[in-house]
Amino acid sequence: MASQGAPAHSRRRLYPQQQYDFSAQQPPVVDPAAAAYSASPIYGQSGQPVAGGMFTPATAIPGPVSSAVGSAQIGGPQVGINPAPSYGYNTPGAEAMAGQFGQMNLGASTGAGTPAAAPALPLNSLYNIDLLHQMPPPINDLSLPPPPLILPPTASVTNSPDSNAPYEYMRSTLNAIPATNSLLKKSKLPFALVIRPYASLLDKSKPVQVVGDTVICRCRRCRAYINPFVQFLETGNRWKCNMCNLTNEVPSTFDFNVIKNIASNRYDRAELNHSVVDFIAPPEYMVRPPQPLVYVFVLDISVNAIKNGLLATAVRTIQESLDRIPNKDGRTRIGLIGVDSCLHYFSIPASSEDYVSEPSLLVCPDIEDPFLPVPENLLVTLSNSRENIDNLLSRLPDMFAQNTNQNNALGSALTAAYKLISPVGGKIVCITASLPNVGIGKLEFRDDKKFLGTNKEGTLLQTANSFYKSFAVDCNKQQVSVDMFLFSSSYQDVASLSSLPRFTAGQTHLYPGWSASRSEDAIKFAHELGEHLSQEVALEAVLRVRGSTGLRMNAFYGNFFNRSSDLCSFPTFPRDQSYVVEVSIDETINKSWVPIQSAVLHTTCHGERRIRVTTIAIPTTNLLQDVYASADQVAITAYLTQKAVEKALSSGLGDAREYLQTSLTTMLQTYKKDLMTTNVGASAPLQFSANLRMLPLLVNALIKHVGLRKSAQIPSDLRSAGLCLLSTLPAVHLVKYIHPDFFSLHDMPDEAGNPSEETGEIILPPKLNLTAGNIATHGLYLINDGQILFLWVGRDAVPLLIEDVFGVPSLQHVKAGKAEVPELDNPMNQRVRSIIAKCRESKDQITWPNLYIVREDGDPALRLWASTFLIEDKSDQALSYYQFLGQLRDKVNN
Amino acid sequence: MNGPACIFAFSLVISAIEIFTQIFFTIMFSDLESDYINPIDLCYRLNNYVLPEVAIHTFLGTVFLLNGYFFSLLINMPILTFSINKVYTNNYLLDATDIFKTVRNHKKESFVKLGFFLVFFFFSLYRMIMALVDADNI
Repeated sequence: MASQGAPAHSRRRLYPQQQYDFSAQQPPVVDPAAAAYSASPIYGQSGQPVAGGMFTPATAIPGPVSSAVGSAQIGGPQVGINPAPSYGYNTPGAEAMAGQFGQMNLGASTGAGTPAAAPALPLNSLYNIDLLHQMPPPINDLSLPPPPLILPPTASVTNSPDSNAPYEYMRSTLNAIPATNSLLKKSKLPFALVIRPYASLLDKSKPVQVVGDTVICRCRRCRAYINPFVQFLETGNRWKCNMCNLTNEVPSTFDFNVIKNIASNRYDRAELNHSVVDFIAPPEYMVRPPQPLVYVFVLDISVNAIKNGLLATAVRTIQESLDRIPNKDGRTRIGLIGVDSCLHYFSIPASSEDYVSEPSLLVCPDIEDPFLPVPENLLVTLSNSRENIDNLLSRLPDMFAQNTNQNNALGSALTAAYKLISPVGGKIVCITASLPNVGIGKLEFRDDKKFLGTNKEGTLLQTANSFYKSFAVDCNKQQVSVDMFLFSSSYQDVASLSSLPRFTAGQTHLYPGWSASRSEDAIKFAHELGEHLSQEVALEAVLRVRGSTGLRMNAFYGNFFNRSSDLCSFPTFPRDQSYVVEVSIDETINKSWVPIQSAVLHTTCHGERRIRVTTIAIPTTNLLQDVYASADQVAITAYLTQKAVEKALSSGLGDAREYLQTSLTTMLQTYKKDLMTTNVGASAPLQFSANLRMLPLLVNALIKHVGLRKSAQIPSDLRSAGLCLLSTLPAVHLVKYIHPDFFSLHDMPDEAGNPSEETGEIILPPKLNLTAGNIATHGLYLINDGQILFLWVGRDAVPLLIEDVFGVPSLQHVKAGKAEVPELDNPMNQRVRSIIAKCRESKDQITWPNLYIVREDGDPALRLWASTFLIEDKSDQALSYYQFLGQLRDKVNN
Repeated sequence: MNGPACIFAFSLVISAIEIFTQIFFTIMFSDLESDYINPIDLCYRLNNYVLPEVAIHTFLGTVFLLNGYFFSLLINMPILTFSINKVYTNNYLLDATDIFKTVRNHKKESFVKLGFFLVFFFFSLYRMIMALVDADNI
């Protein structure tokens, strides 16, 4: 394939802007995979992502095969048992199509040398590109779907379009798995899965099929769940597990609708049609009856939290969120603990009409050995005590308004909260603005400016007090998870505090320089805490990933606790995080495709025990070029990020950057050595597979990211918070976080900023490359990394533009810094505000980014900060993207 | 029995104890890898033995030092320094939260120690016998 690519390549090089425009210029060899690629937006061309791009041309082809299976289904209910769907193999349609493939697959050598693998389909084809000639990098590639998973049409028993996992739920770094470990080693590409069991904060925004009849059909040996890729044998009485090949009985209730008491067609069952399903679990899956959702708030009431208005804002937000906390079954419980140098418990009696009982405050000065002062009323059912909780929350800020205590015994408060909820389990939400300096788990001020930018910086990112790890272990035993909302204006040791959320499946949120007096700050926190509390969190969850024989789940990355070598435990399962699982190949795989399945056994916040099962089927190959042609750059970035964060936390930032650079270099070297036929001399171009062409940019961006960048200016708190986000963000958001979206607003096309006619959603302007070369001095730009928005106003911006957008006569009157765009009644202002609102809108993240208005002629610090997001440019300690590629080329060619 | 023989008999005993400890550690780590034990129990159990293990080794080193057996001390030094450094920098305890990522290193460490103590066991035996033979010759 490479040999065909070469002449085409040299011909096309004359027209760099037309490279790989396959739709305009037919390539010499059309194989179906290439057709699939060019049918979906082409690499190198700006195009909208096509949702259907996931599916293979084979399964997508309508016609004889699907109708053959379809007719089998129709026959199903009458006979009671369906004929085996492997019929599809024998239908003339399938043969015709196989022949078609054979013809189309003229020169492609896929399938050659794969005696073990069943009739191999042509996988994605490899297209070379020269990275250095692709300047600027085509950033629209970042929003493309991964290379399609090409499966034989008969892989799924129902041939349902939903039978393979959508990439937002599960994506593999390799969409064609090497059949042997030696090939994987040779490819130098990582093999890992990016798993995100929940793609939205609320079930209703992305509904998932539910199997409600508690018939859970699993393999006897490997315990895998039945999925769309199994085979039925013996006229449907048995099924063959596609993980371990064991033949299992089909349960008698499988073809029977228990609820309606009639026979049903098994091919209608959700678990055979959908790759993402929820099973409702029978009592055998419960260790104890489903527990209620429990929230304990640990509130900082020391002078730091009073001064910046945190306590009042937090309490008001909690009060406003009470109705949004999931409480369908009326069992949700709430507790509050205030902490300065003493522990303040709030006893909240049940609201009753007979007598008025007031909430009371109990102060315990013993912080070395915290105990619960009264046995009851500290943790109360929300529905029963609603009035009293409201009453307490509205008075709480005033109670401590005069507090001048500067100490904070967070560790002791956490221990107390743990004692309070350990019989049930649940979430501890810490809202704190001070460094815990007394009591259990006290921390020291260790942010020495001398260390920043040196090798010793790594120690500042590690946990200072072992309490935060041992406590995390205790929390896991009792199904307690901890979330941190941190607000300190000075050093707060985020590194230590964040290890609690890291190992209890919580999340760390840092609000540097927060003050309630700025309405933007208050809105941000109120929005995020509100969303956090109202998300439909799952409880007492465990995640297990099963792979086909020969695959082993090797390492797990994300926020959870590894309870055994292949089981991750989550006291509560958040919906806004994703996880990376590294897979190793232990034995040679002799199937043409392999399934991998993740299962999350959990209790929903509505008191139901459920299992969310996600199955992905990935083709295998014996050829290195297929492995490269089907690699997913976004998933690889997610994996590299996790590894880099792990390295940063264990052995320092230098090692992490080194790791990223080396990984990328070895990939490029392998590509050049094994896949390029014309690789000669030191001046050879830097070539890479077209589907991986953004990987160097992403790695370069990652090296320049605030969490990993070489710099002596970044406080360790910001770094730690950055690393926390890097290791938890779902792939799509991660890409945006390391490579922000950049829009030009002053010259955006007419439709941008207005709702689309088809979907009604606001259309965003086209994305620009992140380089100062794209910034005109008269322009208005927006940078969005998902956590922060920058509105950049050029120094020569015309007064009309300023007038329209900001409602002030000239640039000098524009208020820089954290601000909002005022609401004005003109189309430009409305469009800008719509775009900002669209950037903030999210159904799967709680983050509400703050907007910073940056004036090019204004505050240099702010301008410098915003320009660190222009990652294709050279910064003081890091190379520009072009230099980075040049350096890579030198390394690869030597 | 003379002085040197006593000392090497003592070092023989210590090596034997160390060998058993390291075998125990290795078995426990293998158990963890094959899921016979959960990380919390493992760390709880093993952490009790980490310090005593270093302590007796340090004691052996001190005995060699005080009695002037510098060669014996020297061959013990690499592992002894490593262990003491771990205790000194306060990262000698096993951590249940990241044990699955570090278990391979721990296992390697146990193997190296096991190998060393096996060799040292026979070295001690040899020196003890030599000391006894020398004593008889006088």
